[in-house]
Amino acid sequence: MSDDRIEGYARGLFEIARAEGSIGAVEDELYRFARSFESSDALRSALTDEQIPAAKRLAIVEDLLGGKATPTSTQLISMVVGAGRGRDLPAIIDRLVARASSAQQLELAEVRSAKPLTADQQTRLAAALAKATGKQVNLKCVVDASVIGGVVATVGDTVIDGTVRTRIDQLKSRL
Amino acid sequence: MSALGIAIGLRIAAEGKPDANGELVTSHPLLPESAEIIYGGIASLLIFWAIYKFGGPAIKKGMAARTERIQRELDAAAADRSAAATEAAQIRAAKGDIDGERRRIMAEAEQQAAAVLTDGRARLAAEVADLESRADAEIAAAGARVGDELRAEIARLSIAAVDHIVTGSLDDATHQELIEGFISRVGAAR
Repeated sequence: MSDDRIEGYARGLFEIARAEGSIGAVEDELYRFARSFESSDALRSALTDEQIPAAKRLAIVEDLLGGKATPTSTQLISMVVGAGRGRDLPAIIDRLVARASSAQQLELAEVRSAKPLTADQQTRLAAALAKATGKQVNLKCVVDASVIGGVVATVGDTVIDGTVRTRIDQLKSRL
Repeated sequence: MSALGIAIGLRIAAEGKPDANGELVTSHPLLPESAEIIYGGIASLLIFWAIYKFGGPAIKKGMAARTERIQRELDAAAADRSAAATEAAQIRAAKGDIDGERRRIMAEAEQQAAAVLTDGRARLAAEVADLESRADAEIAAAGARVGDELRAEIARLSIAAVDHIVTGSLDDATHQELIEGFISRVGAAR
C-alpha cells in the first residue's frame, strides 16, 4: 500500500477514535494488537489471506477482541481487515499511535517485557523514562517472551536495554 | 757398318758361277743375286728416304701430338690428383671439425645435463620444502580449526545451558525484581 493511503487510513482511524472519546485506550489496544499481528504468523496469514472470505476474517477479529478490547478498537481493526488492508495493519496503527502521541505532545515509548507491567510500574516507568530522556512519553507496553526477562524501552532513537536476552547475547559474543 | 753393306758383303761372298748356258745361277739358298741386292738396296734406300722425307713430319707431328696429349693427360691427372689431395685435406679438416664439434656438443650436452640435474634437484628440494611447509600450515590450520570448532561447540552448549538455566530459574518474583531494577536504573540515569 502506498504511504499516502496508509497515512489516510491512520488519520481516519485516529479521528474516529478521538470522536468516540477513547483515543487513549484505543491506541493502546491497537498497538498491542499490531505487535501480536507481527509476531504471530498464523494470525497474520489468517487476516491477510484473500482466499478466506471477508466475513470469516471479521469473525476471527471478533473472536479475538470481542469482550477483551473496546468496541471501537474491534470495529476499527475489522474495518481495515474487511477492506483487505490487513497486511498494512501494523503500519497504519503505528501511524495512528504516532499521530496520537504528537497530538498530546508526547514521545512514543515502546516497552517490551516478558511479563506484563502493572499500572503502577507503567506509571513509574513512564516517569523514569521522562526523566531519563527529558521528554514526556506515551508508553506502549508489549509482552514479548523473546526478551526472557527484564525490560527494553525504545524512545525515538534511544534504546534502553535491560533484558536477560541481551545479557545472554553478550555472554554468547564473549564466548 | 750399315745393313746395306752387310748385305752386299754377304752377296759378294755368295756369288754364283755361270752355268752351261752361261746364265748366272744362284747357288745360295738364302741370298739373291748381287744385282738384285743392289737394285733392291737402292730401292729400299729410296723407299726409306721417301718415308723419311714425306712420312717423317707426319710421324713427328703425330708423335708430338701424342706426346702433347699424353702430357695433357698427365697434367690433368696431376691436377686431379692435386684436387683430390685438396679435397682429401678438406675432408680430413672437416672430419677434424666434426670430431671437434662432436666433442663440443657432447661437452655442452653434459654441461646442460649437469645444469638440468642441479636445477631439478634444487627445484625438487624447494618443492619438497614447500610441500612440507604447506603440510605444516594445513596441520596447524586444521588444529586451529578443530580448536575453534570445539570452542564454538562449547560456547553453543554453554549458551544453550545458560538459556535453559536462566529461563527455568526466572520465576515471577525474579521477573518483578528485574522490572523494578530496570525502572530504578532508568530513573537514576539522569
